[in-house]
Amino acid sequence: MELQKIKDLLEKYDAGETSLAEEQQLRKYFERNEVSESLKPYQLMFAFSAKENQESYDREINLPANKKENRYLWTAMAASIILVIGLFFFQNKPLEMNDKDVSTIQDREEALQKSMEALKMVSEIMNEGKQDLKYLKEFNNTKNKFIKTE
Amino acid sequence: MKQQAFLDKINPVKDKMYRLALRLLVSKEAAEDATQEVILKLWNRKHKIKDYTNLEAFAMMVIKNHCLDELKAKKNNNLRIVHQNYENKSISPQRDLELKDEMNWIQDIVADLPEQQKIVFQLRDIEQLDFEEIEEITKMKSTAVRVALSRARKKIRERLTNKHDYGITKN
Repeated sequence: MELQKIKDLLEKYDAGETSLAEEQQLRKYFERNEVSESLKPYQLMFAFSAKENQESYDREINLPANKKENRYLWTAMAASIILVIGLFFFQNKPLEMNDKDVSTIQDREEALQKSMEALKMVSEIMNEGKQDLKYLKEFNNTKNKFIKTE
Repeated sequence: MKQQAFLDKINPVKDKMYRLALRLLVSKEAAEDATQEVILKLWNRKHKIKDYTNLEAFAMMVIKNHCLDELKAKKNNNLRIVHQNYENKSISPQRDLELKDEMNWIQDIVADLPEQQKIVFQLRDIEQLDFEEIEEITKMKSTAVRVALSRARKKIRERLTNKHDYGITKN
């Protein structure tokens, strides 16, 4: 590269306006060429920068193990075991009870009574539920205000 | 974040962090301590690191602040052992100065710069970072970065020139 171009670049360099690529050009130039006394300081500066870039951090990085993560892991394991055991017991119990209930009533009369009772209870509960639905009528009332059916 | 993932991220940055710490704190021991502390700090806050898109700039900013705090705390203890005697004419310079001596001059000249200029010079000329990154690390405006850089470069060069001229005329 011609000297004038280098000098122009150095002027820009002094002003802090060179790009990284231009600084790379300068670096290479000063690495490869002998320079006049007036440019010597630049050469030293670039040599210094290159040398300082060689320093490295040699200590080993020891990171403390993360206890938080382990604690969560154990909690998660305990919770899932409890969940599995719980599901096992709750799913088995009702089935056994049903079998017993069916087999206990032998007498026909008693069986009829029992089922009547049960059906009555169901209908009572249904009626109760129906009562709660009464207010649905309001919908019709309001609807009829707007839509006249003749 | 897993330990290995963290190390993979921090390994390419740790030398740069150390060099900036070394530039500011001068002593190798202090710079190594600072780097270690900052790496641990980052590790402890690793769940937040995902938010920082540019870990390098963030790590550099943290170590810069850490070192400046350290300097502030130790100012009274006179941590900086900086030579103030470049203009001292009683020291006779030798004609055949080895490159090593010249490197030491620059080292001392850089150590003598104001902190802001030191940081910008380190990041630009030694680490060759682009201006956006330097702005992010130093939290300085683009023009301020360029001004600081220009001043640092000129000051180093002028001092070197003086030293050289002096050496030549004397012998």
